[in-house]
Amino acid sequence: MRRRDFLKTSIAASAAIVGTSLSAGTTHQPNDTREVSKMAFPEKRPLITYSDRPPLLESPRSTYTKQLTPNDEFFVRWHLPDIPTHIDPDAYTIHINGLVEKELHISLKELKNDFEHVEVEAVLQCGGNSRSAFDPIAGGIQWGSGAMGSALWKGVRLSDILNRAGLHKDAKFIGFNGKDNAAYYETPNFVRELELEELNDHVIVAFEMNGEDLPYLNGYPLRLVIPGYYSDSWVKMLSNITVTNKYKSLFFMDVAYRVPDNECECETPDEKFKTTKPITTMNVKSVIGYPENGMKVYHNSHIVVRGVAFDDGHGIKDVMVSTDDGKTWEKSILKKGSSRYAYSAFRFAYKPEKYGKVNIMAKAIDRLGNEQPLAKDVKWNHGGYKYNGIDTVQVEVV
Amino acid sequence: MKKILLLTLLSVGSLFAQVKGDVAVPYISYEIKMGKGFDSIQANCLMCHSFGYVLNQGPQSKEFWHKKVVKMITHFKAPITKEDVEITTNYLFEHYGNGKQK
Repeated sequence: MRRRDFLKTSIAASAAIVGTSLSAGTTHQPNDTREVSKMAFPEKRPLITYSDRPPLLESPRSTYTKQLTPNDEFFVRWHLPDIPTHIDPDAYTIHINGLVEKELHISLKELKNDFEHVEVEAVLQCGGNSRSAFDPIAGGIQWGSGAMGSALWKGVRLSDILNRAGLHKDAKFIGFNGKDNAAYYETPNFVRELELEELNDHVIVAFEMNGEDLPYLNGYPLRLVIPGYYSDSWVKMLSNITVTNKYKSLFFMDVAYRVPDNECECETPDEKFKTTKPITTMNVKSVIGYPENGMKVYHNSHIVVRGVAFDDGHGIKDVMVSTDDGKTWEKSILKKGSSRYAYSAFRFAYKPEKYGKVNIMAKAIDRLGNEQPLAKDVKWNHGGYKYNGIDTVQVEVV
Repeated sequence: MKKILLLTLLSVGSLFAQVKGDVAVPYISYEIKMGKGFDSIQANCLMCHSFGYVLNQGPQSKEFWHKKVVKMITHFKAPITKEDVEITTNYLFEHYGNGKQK
């Protein structure tokens, strides 16, 4: 009775309800049953919609046939409900303060005119992408596999901005804050704090995404781009950069977006691991864009399996595809992006010679030899972070 | 002819002015289960975030929901009274629980 109630009313629950009595945490394929909503958000086509305040939008599977994610299909994830609904690009400034020689207020125009422009093609993925794969259900939005995208980001180097301000000798941490606000004044801002050492020349303050202004919901007019890192660090509507010598305790750094600080980054639901660490860099992952679960394909027809693969910037070496439940694997054809942080798009020619249901699986391997585990072999963690199981779609050959 | 030109200019203009003027984020109406304690949910939870945020946590234990409510007080500084902690936890567990205490 209870179970049926859930299925009727909860959009999120469907895949995860089965088998909750296990004491060890398990993992399975993420939920792939949700459809895009009828309602479109500003500058977006209709996407899978979880929340309006804050806006939470997921890309459907078909998005992952494309090497660059179109801006209007790009996922959206905000933490605080109050986002400015009006931004005047002529008045927008970014403030650089703290342990700097000279405090700066740089206008959007100055940023675009006075600094060298650089571009980087890079994947942006939420640390909780695919969270619906975890059982018992990990707290947080029950994302399918669509909380990720890849774009060509254009902007200026963070280091150029910091150099212009001049860092003090004891500068060690950089805090980033955006313009989103909570409903209560006392609520902490979504500030990210990174160690200076972590920030290389690939880190940029971006004002363009795929040749256009950033969409409003992706952080217009400026966002931080940290290639290889999960998106929680890519602060949107960036308005403030503060240099410090001491780590400031922050909720979104110290409590959220953390995994167990052990080698497997895992734990059991009954015995959570005591110490945690930030999720930082991404693990190797791939997602199939075509075909999709439940599609019918013709016997002896010519199918092109397509998808995207990435890691934290070491680069993808191969994406292997299996159509016999993982007994044999064959190399797909890879098309690299313009940077090592970009998607590698893969294609695989498949001719279904048997009738009935077939599982198509894709497994990415990076240059270090890291490869994706089977969905069931991904280790459980309480936040449902960093899922990277081998993606599987089931088609019916008719 | 002038009219056509003007129209063309206008449409080109709107193509490139991506975020000029106000942007309206649509409101979504969620299917909400009414029941004892919902008033408290409305006053304490929906002030800050949508019901979708609740729904999309998936069905959870009583302890999970209790911890979520307490997190809103500790970390997000939501002014939720002791009494309302209990009322909201009970509502969430009754309607969006997994049947388990822990």
